[in-house]
Amino acid sequence: MPEDAALLDNRPGWTIASEWRVPAAAAVGAALIVWIAPLVLGAFAANVLTRSMIYATLAVTVDLLWGFTGILTFGQAAFFGAGAYATAMTMTSLGSTPAWMAAALVLAIILPMVLGLVVGWLSFYHGSTPLYASVISLVFPIVVTQLVYSGGLLTGSSSGLVGYDTLPLDLEGFFRLSGLVMVAVTLAAWIFVRSDAGKLLVAVRDNDIRCAYLGVSPRRVQIMLTVALAGVAGFAGFLFAHASGVIAPENTGFLFGTQLVIWVALGGRGSLLGPVLATLAIDYLSASLSGDLPFLWQLVLGTAFVIIIIFLPDGLAGLASRASAAIFRSSKQTRVPRVALAASHSAVETSATLLKVTGLARSFGSLSVLENINLEIHPGELVSIVGPNGAGKTTLIRCLSDGSEPFKGVVEIAGKPIKALTPDRVVALGVGRKFQVASIFESLTVAECLRLARTTSETPSGIGSAPLLSLPTASVEILRLTGLIDLIGFPVGLLSHGMKQALELAMVLALEPRLILLDEPTAGLTKAERATIGAVLRHLTAEAGYAIILVEHDLDFVREISSRIVVLHQGRLVLDGAVEDVVNSETVRTIYSGGGHV
Amino acid sequence: MSEARSDEVLGLRNISSGYGAVSVVKSVTLSVGPGEIVAMLGKNGMGKSTLLKTILRLIPLRSGVIQIRGIDQPDLTPAQMIAWGLSYVPQEQALFQDLSIRDNLRLAVRNDGELGAALDHAFDYFPFLRERLRQKAGTLSGGEQKMLILARALMLRPRLLLIDEISEGLQPSVVDRVVGVLRDERSRDGTAMLVVEQNLDFALRVADRWAVLKMGEIDDEGPCGLEAHARVLEHLSL
Amino acid sequence: MLLLLDILTTAAILFVVSVGLLAIFGVLKIINFAHGAWLTIGAYCAVVSVRLGLNPWAGLPIAFVVGALLGGVAELFIIRPLYRRPLDAILATWGLGIVIGQLITLAFGRDVQLIPNLMSSTVRVLSVDYSVYRLFMLFAALAIGALFALTIEGTRLGLSARAVIMNETLARSLGIDTDRVRLTTFMIGAGLAALAGVLLTPLTSVDPNMGVAWLIGAFMLVMVADTSYLALAAACLIFSGAQVLVSTFVSPVLGGISIAVLAALVLRINPRGFSRA
Repeated sequence: MPEDAALLDNRPGWTIASEWRVPAAAAVGAALIVWIAPLVLGAFAANVLTRSMIYATLAVTVDLLWGFTGILTFGQAAFFGAGAYATAMTMTSLGSTPAWMAAALVLAIILPMVLGLVVGWLSFYHGSTPLYASVISLVFPIVVTQLVYSGGLLTGSSSGLVGYDTLPLDLEGFFRLSGLVMVAVTLAAWIFVRSDAGKLLVAVRDNDIRCAYLGVSPRRVQIMLTVALAGVAGFAGFLFAHASGVIAPENTGFLFGTQLVIWVALGGRGSLLGPVLATLAIDYLSASLSGDLPFLWQLVLGTAFVIIIIFLPDGLAGLASRASAAIFRSSKQTRVPRVALAASHSAVETSATLLKVTGLARSFGSLSVLENINLEIHPGELVSIVGPNGAGKTTLIRCLSDGSEPFKGVVEIAGKPIKALTPDRVVALGVGRKFQVASIFESLTVAECLRLARTTSETPSGIGSAPLLSLPTASVEILRLTGLIDLIGFPVGLLSHGMKQALELAMVLALEPRLILLDEPTAGLTKAERATIGAVLRHLTAEAGYAIILVEHDLDFVREISSRIVVLHQGRLVLDGAVEDVVNSETVRTIYSGGGHV
Repeated sequence: MSEARSDEVLGLRNISSGYGAVSVVKSVTLSVGPGEIVAMLGKNGMGKSTLLKTILRLIPLRSGVIQIRGIDQPDLTPAQMIAWGLSYVPQEQALFQDLSIRDNLRLAVRNDGELGAALDHAFDYFPFLRERLRQKAGTLSGGEQKMLILARALMLRPRLLLIDEISEGLQPSVVDRVVGVLRDERSRDGTAMLVVEQNLDFALRVADRWAVLKMGEIDDEGPCGLEAHARVLEHLSL
Repeated sequence: MLLLLDILTTAAILFVVSVGLLAIFGVLKIINFAHGAWLTIGAYCAVVSVRLGLNPWAGLPIAFVVGALLGGVAELFIIRPLYRRPLDAILATWGLGIVIGQLITLAFGRDVQLIPNLMSSTVRVLSVDYSVYRLFMLFAALAIGALFALTIEGTRLGLSARAVIMNETLARSLGIDTDRVRLTTFMIGAGLAALAGVLLTPLTSVDPNMGVAWLIGAFMLVMVADTSYLALAAACLIFSGAQVLVSTFVSPVLGGISIAVLAALVLRINPRGFSRA
């Protein structure tokens, strides 16, 4: 009931207007500085800073990819270079009328995006590793550079392209244009990472498996981000081609790509502002020192970089924020949404088979972990799977939730076989999985985690943060019973172990899955916490029509809440029946006192 | 039970350890005397394996004190514990499957000079190993692998042997053999042992004393004898 | 015939350059992005030994020792703290490479160093005149490969290293000092890199940045080979074959990227590269 929801909440949500005050002011201030600066700076400084500001825009894209999403990429330089070359080649070979310039702009954005699609498809697939993505991001600029070298007159080869017509702006004009673009991109990035959709980036970085099990394909997020930021980099390339009037293969190379990473690392990955300021400062200083102490400067930079990576992974921005937190004693005030009850759509077909497993087998090489498993589950059942260590319980859960597991046999959820379906697609069929070790997002708050769990039912905004967090009754129940409801704004990292388990359960329930798979949900919980969870689970199956499969070691717990017990031993299903029958059977006694050999 | 005895081999005083945010071993106080075989029983997930790994220093100690011969031991590495005389039989992934039996055994001795004597001691208990030295460990049967692991642990005549669920998956005849080997070793060399088990029969046959680990703490303990079986079964049963 | 010799000798050169990186990747599970800098260090050891009036061949043992010692320092202060952060280890070693490059520039200047070749002249092989040095590289690769294999399969250190590669936790629980194994392996890998640097001097110009180009190739080969030196040899043969063929029949510039592209594709299909086979 809506009245209940209002009672549950005890912290007002902030309005959007006040949230935007500070960054809007900062952006306007920065824009003003950018506008006035060329009147004050000398020609050399203005020239260098124009380039530095374009690089800073690039640095923002690298920070979004690396600092927020965890993708270490050396490849942004190649997208940048592709945009720059597309522009210059168009102007050189096709003409420089305003129509061609517009075409160059479009090409400078589209071409890198297409390349981004290819790179994304290569780098991000189910089972790919972050190292492999970094490898591809390294190979890509090398390939692009070599293609430029072998392009003959078309690309200018090692001499580059020069002398093409550029936009009719003078030095001041280009300065302002680059500066405003930098401010705009930084502001847009800032707004995005604070929005609900922006939290997806951090979610993918922190725990891409949990993302998949919330129905969000992490690969799609990574690929879409790559494509979008490739477009931005291409646009920066367009600007660069015009502002500098000359482009060379070095602008596409992996050395430039590593430069960007170094600037982001020194400034502070994941802080947006840090990389911008670091890029401006370092690029400007590098150019100014060019005449005098180039090697010493590189030496200092290199050393600073190594030291920062080892001792200060958050870079100078991290240092600054820790210092300012100490000085101003400011705590991170994140907006806290109000919890509301979502309209529940529990269209439960009674008695239809929810899960059907036929002849499931799974082996690792010659070791057979599961053999000939046959199982049927209907809505309203609470089935506990028990068995000694090594019996194959977690493997079974995995085969029921991840169609890409190489198992034999058939697993059908609501009549649909899940073979070859990645976890996010299995979740879409109505499955929720809770892991043995609480699988949540350590860098986010409780509210943000819950909101991410609702991604597939309510598309998150890319601009702001919704003031209302609507959750299904079951989730709200858990939050209330465990006291999490009072901790909605808390960072997850501060939660106790039991609270994290509760949060994960609330997140899984927020999916409103028809079938819930729980792997040892009571591990490490106190007696009281276990009783709470037990009551909720029983309620879910008995009254709300969910089906639950529970893997457990706590046999008292199992006995209290289950409607059915399945015993797994050495990979085979040895018993499947009503609680009392199984509990009192001879087989189970033998297995548990160590005598059973099936 | 909890006083420091200088004639004890291993003393655990309120130790705790775990993974990440969870302390799996919450507060364990236990004593193992010279030549004593103690069985550590308990259901899954109660912290038995974690306890052994903590004693070996594979996992850092979060609080409490580990004493060897009554003397507090500061931060030690597993290599140092083994150099003192600790030996460990892991529950899973205990062998290098792709290496030969000989190489598996060789890795347990500190330098090749000691290998000869160590191998002889191993062959005393498990003569079948002598002919199969060149065979890859992964090609042995499950039972043979367990015997190899045990041989490797006994090879160096340890003062304290930590065993994690060695009887799992073994045929009853092999289990008998292991009981004999362990009791022999204790009689001959006075080796103390901490035997983690889920198999009640095996545990009570081989040990002098038993303790039950529940939710990271010792719930109950006592000497092995007639009533032991029933008492422990209560803790383990459904 | 010429083609065949080119392929074989290129494979040999790639193997010599990459084997040190493989050892480090296998045991420490990190990519040492300073590998190029160690190649450069080795080359400059050769420069120094020539300047000191020593026999140019003396550069080989000197480079190995210098490379190993510096490698030890790097492992203790840079690699060890980043044990659990492999991506950051790539970045930190890359930074280290930059630092080393600048130090060398400050000490020796940016210009290309000229030193007398270890061997010059050509020899007639089956109706083709071929560089003696390149043929020597074949021999060097086989010698180094054999020594490496002997160490890995025959010595105690090699056994411990293989144990750490397969299962570090189990190795620790048997009392193996895994910290020492990692340190020793890193030192050997770094020493081998420096050694390779000396061997490269007749084949490439010696300047402070000479190593970077080789780093990428070596890195891709090691990723494809995973932890097996036999797989590395196979990868070197196959990929150098591709490189030589593409360079000869398509374009030398594209030949330069063939290793990187092929490796990326192989890894996409099978993340463990050739080591499975």
